[in-house]
Amino acid sequence: MTIWQGAVLGIAALAAVAAPASAQNSMTLMSYAGIFRENYTDTVVKPFAAKGAEVQFFEGGSSSQMLGTLRAQKADPQVDVVIMDVTTAALACAEGLVEPVRPAELPVLAQLAPMARSAGGSCGPAVTFDHLVMVYDTQKVQPAPASLMAMADPSQRGAVGLAAPPNIQGLAVTAMLANANGGDWKNIGAALPALKSIAANVQTFDPKPDGYSMILNDQLRFATGWNARAQLYRDQSKNRIGVVLPDEGTVFQINTINIVANAKNRGKAVEFVNHALSAAAQKAFTERMFYGPVNTEAGVTPEALGRTALAPEYRSKVIDVDWGEMQKLRDGWNQRWRREVISAAPR
Amino acid sequence: MTGWLLAAPALAVLAVAFLWPMAGLFRISLNRTTETGAMEAALTTESYAKLLGDSFTAELAWNTLLLAGSSAAVATVLALPVALMVRAASPRWRGLLALLGIAPLLVSATARLVGWMAILGDQGLINAMLMGSGLRDTPLPLINNWTGVRIGLVESLMPYAVLVLIAGLGRLDPRLEEAAATLGAGRARTFLRVTLPLAAPALLAAWLLTLVLGLSSFITPRLMGGGRVFVMATEIYDLALEYVDWPGAAALAMLLLGALVLLMLLRAVTTRGAGRRA
Repeated sequence: MTIWQGAVLGIAALAAVAAPASAQNSMTLMSYAGIFRENYTDTVVKPFAAKGAEVQFFEGGSSSQMLGTLRAQKADPQVDVVIMDVTTAALACAEGLVEPVRPAELPVLAQLAPMARSAGGSCGPAVTFDHLVMVYDTQKVQPAPASLMAMADPSQRGAVGLAAPPNIQGLAVTAMLANANGGDWKNIGAALPALKSIAANVQTFDPKPDGYSMILNDQLRFATGWNARAQLYRDQSKNRIGVVLPDEGTVFQINTINIVANAKNRGKAVEFVNHALSAAAQKAFTERMFYGPVNTEAGVTPEALGRTALAPEYRSKVIDVDWGEMQKLRDGWNQRWRREVISAAPR
Repeated sequence: MTGWLLAAPALAVLAVAFLWPMAGLFRISLNRTTETGAMEAALTTESYAKLLGDSFTAELAWNTLLLAGSSAAVATVLALPVALMVRAASPRWRGLLALLGIAPLLVSATARLVGWMAILGDQGLINAMLMGSGLRDTPLPLINNWTGVRIGLVESLMPYAVLVLIAGLGRLDPRLEEAAATLGAGRARTFLRVTLPLAAPALLAAWLLTLVLGLSSFITPRLMGGGRVFVMATEIYDLALEYVDWPGAAALAMLLLGALVLLMLLRAVTTRGAGRRA
């Protein structure tokens, strides 16, 4: 045996011994990039890693991009746990890309709110609650608005950013206005007059990079957004961004946590899901980023809870939208938006 | 035979990097999207039938053709003086001028569009000048609409038109224009009666190339359209990433690809014609 042959065999032997140990102690989490990754890593991932596990955070882009990754890796998954939007997770569940939940392995499920447990159906439960809000420029809009119809005020011509369907924010606003004006979130006809009057002021139906940044860059005065990010932008901008849960109510956006089917590091994945849903992790993340906690024993401070839709004064304002039903309606809604709302708001 | 052997590596790369993914895309287009939105393995043309039976697809195709056709035409017309100037320049300056003509290609398309947004936006340079000088009370809407997309697209297509025209006009025999001048034709008459007819095949080739690029353009309509501009590429994006309807997105992409292949064949025919005439 030459020196080279010996070296190669030695390395191979080391790798054979080391690989299973490494695999047992590491796992890969796929979720959103940016401020979600930063804050989730600090408050949830690092405490888990401190117990001796190595967690790779894979930035999956949007939920639909994550679904694409899961589809592409179906034969050889490189991800163990995925946190994504509930509607997209439902597709992953239906396609067998994520595991059905096994209650015996997840004792933490007993601590979850009923809505959190039921959100994911037969697959993973909710891990964060978020909700749609209206955001505005506190320096230019006074007094503070309370209704979505503040965006229809003629003085706001060209100063509104309103994401249109199929973007989920456009669907949520439509459901909110339909519920407020017709008593049924599915009745788009009741929402259209209000949408048209707001559309007259819309500068863009596709705010880029997002409504918060466009307000901070003086391009808009109003936009829609998700509460958690909006609250963080409010703090970072020293209250320049105002956040309103409108009189018309709000709609939950739920992220669920799932173990990927045939995950290579399933043992660690199960441990991580138990940790992510635990009271401590939920409390830490809510107090950092204002996502509503799913664990009823989280013990979140009243101040942080007051900035989520789970605050007692807001709970009655949450409209019970069935996103599975929305999936069936959105094609028709999209067409009506294009033909009756966007076309009525030329620039 | 030697030619094929030399081309073999490039053809292999093409097969792996283009044909194989295209075959995969075609296969996905034959899958089924269930009512819940989940993708189901199948061999069906449902997605094609749905797209072809939807009047919005025809509207999209018309929007796309109109946007790309008009932008390509304007880009070609604007590129012609640039190409003529390069042709008329002394050999010493020709290279530098040609480089300047295609300089926008050296900058990322996204960066250029962000620049346009700063110029054309409601608080942008042009509106600041218009409102500062008292010519307007409210911003002129130059972005987040079809106007903004056309401006951005013309700018991004022009360098390609310049390249094709420089190559096409370079083949024209200057003695024909000299002969026209000798026979008493003025500059304008020489241009209209001699240069322009001879340049027609190059102009057509430039228009077709930029048309093909315009048909598949995505970033410009997405970033400068403000959600008001619906073309094939933005619809493919929405189907794939908002609806998560991969079979639908793949089917629309295949239809667009088919149209582009037809146009490329047309371009090849006209380019050959241009070569023969020159």
